[in-house]
Order: sequence, then structure tokens, then C-alpha cells
Amino acid sequence: MRHRMASAALALVGLMVSAYLLLYKLGVVGTLKCVGSGGCERVNTSPWSTIGGVPVAAFGVAGYLVLLGIAMYGLRPDQAGRPQATRWLAALSALGVLFSLYLLALELFVIHAVCVWCSVSGVTILAVFLVSAGALAGARRAPAP
Amino acid sequence: MAEAGRSLKSFYLLLGGIAVVGIALILHAAFGGKAPPIVMAECGGPPLGGVAPRGVVEGADSAPVRIDEYADFECPACARFAVLTMPDVLQRLVPTGKLRWQFLDFPLSQHANSPLAHITAACGAAQGKFWEMSYAIYQHQDDWFADKDPEGKFLSYARAAGLDVDSLKACIAQRRPWPQIEANRCSGERLHVDGTPTFFVNGRALAGIPAYDDIARIVDSVAGARTAGARR
Repeated sequence: MRHRMASAALALVGLMVSAYLLLYKLGVVGTLKCVGSGGCERVNTSPWSTIGGVPVAAFGVAGYLVLLGIAMYGLRPDQAGRPQATRWLAALSALGVLFSLYLLALELFVIHAVCVWCSVSGVTILAVFLVSAGALAGARRAPAP
Repeated sequence: MAEAGRSLKSFYLLLGGIAVVGIALILHAAFGGKAPPIVMAECGGPPLGGVAPRGVVEGADSAPVRIDEYADFECPACARFAVLTMPDVLQRLVPTGKLRWQFLDFPLSQHANSPLAHITAACGAAQGKFWEMSYAIYQHQDDWFADKDPEGKFLSYARAAGLDVDSLKACIAQRRPWPQIEANRCSGERLHVDGTPTFFVNGRALAGIPAYDDIARIVDSVAGARTAGARR
């Protein structure tokens, strides 16, 4: 259960970061607080900051909400010992990691600027994946009760 | 069971803490530490704060044709003119020495983001990059006009246009060019400008929004008439 708690906490952190970036993209937050010389704003105003007209940050908000929901569902007493929630967390966070790598490649090789908040989100989703994949691997190794 | 209950309680406290801190930081970013609001003054009476109207000028003062443009950064027609026509005017007509162009601010009160756009462009002018900044603001008008606070986007355009963003930020935060912008707007009101863009050719209002060819024709005919008059 602890790994689901960790996943939920991480998903909430990711949700906050994505919400911040989305509010910037929607013009609610005037300037992004960013380490370095404006990489966050350059990335978040680039043509790659939207997909089909939808801000990339909105996908982040939606993704983290789903992860948070699954993790919280997995904390219900009737889900204890059942691996489904952890499998979903591992699978969806793996997709998130791939998407984050794609975004990082765009930042490094196409936009030539790094958005620290996007990197925080990338590390967060990677942590969700490692925690849930580690739990699945541990459950496989552990002998059945 | 008691241990599990304690563990869950700690977990919910942690989640609550993350949510509270996250929301507080976002609210602070959205609403905290704002620069003073921009207030449009009434234009009656003498020039505001003793500031005389003075726009951004391209071209020699001795040019026979003087065109003054009153424009609003949030006005779509101004954006079309700035993006489609103005680059040609600056590159092809101004260098002939026949034309002096003056951009004068005329932010319309119904356009909430226009004052900040004018301040940003004027702060860009302080770095000698008014036209680059104004072009970028106009070019991305669809992207910022509905924003609650477009400053971050303006700074991003400034960075792309090669401006010193830290200095620009300070200029914007202090609203440094606002008295000049107000003086320019009020000069337009005194000339009965009631829409944007509005053009004056040697002091006479021009009907409609000219295309590049129209402006070139005006420049040639006015400059030609001046030359012919001087010969006689």
C-alpha cells in the first residue's frame, strides 16, 4: 500500500506543476518563476507547447488526475493485495515517461531551451513509474502467502 | 490495524500539505506581487503631466511626407496593417527619404490588454527595438488578447526578438512609458480619432486603411507635388 501512497503524493505534486504551467499557458499567471534565463517561457510559448490546439500542460493535468485517481482507488481496503491498480499506475506512468522524454528531446534539440518545471514533471512521472514498477517486481519475487 | 490507520492519517496529512502548499504557490504566482494597475486618465485640459505627445519615428524630419499612425495593439485591423503592410513601408519607402512615419499609441479603453502591450512596445523602444517588439506583439495578437495577464508572453516575444528581458521587465513593472502613451492617446482624442488604425498624411486624416501601394502612391504624389512647387 505504501507504494500507492507514494504514487498518489507524487501524482499530486505533478498535478500542481502541470496546473501551474497550464495557468500560464491560459494567461492567468503572468510570468513563470523559472531558474535560468527564461527557458520555461520560451518552451511554453513555442509551437510545441500545444498539440492540436490543446496545451501540453493540459495533458499533464489530465494524466496526473488519472494517476491520482487510480492511486487513491488502490488505497481502498478492498484493493489491498490486488495488483490491478499498481499495474495501471506502472503502465500509464511508463507512457508518461516516454512522453516526457519526447518533450525533453524537443527542448534540447529543437527549441534549444530547457523548462525546469517540465523537468520537475518528468522526474515526478519517472518516480511514479519506478515506485509502481518496483512494487510489481517485488510482488512477483515475494512468495505467495 | 491501528498502525494502518495511523499510516493512512499521515498520508492524508501529507496529501493535504502538498495541495495547500501547491495551491498557495500558484495563487501567489497568479496574484501576488503585481505591478500597479494601469489607469487611463481623462484627456481634457493640458497635456498630462506636462508630457508632450511624441511617437516612435522612422525617417528624416525633412521628409516631404509625414504620416502619423494612431494604433492599438489589440485591434485586429492594426495587426493586419502592421504585419502585412508596415514591413514594406519601413524597408522600401522610408529609406527613400520621402517619408517620415510616426507611430502614436492609441490604446482603446475596451481592450484590457492593450495598455500593457503599449507599455511593452515602448519599453522595447527604449532599447531601440520598437519595431521588432511591436511586430511580435501584433503577430501573436490571437495568442494573448484574451489572456488575464499576457506579460509572460510579451517577455517571451521580447527574448526571441533579442531584447534585454531583465531591463524590459523593470521598465514594464515601473510602467515607465505610460505618461508618454497617455499623452499620445490624448493627442489622438484631440484630433477626434475614434477608431484604429487612423492615419494622418501631413496633418490631414486619411480615409480607411491604406495598402502598401496606396501609401507609395500618396508618397509619390505628395513628394512630387512638393518638388514641382519648389522648382516653380
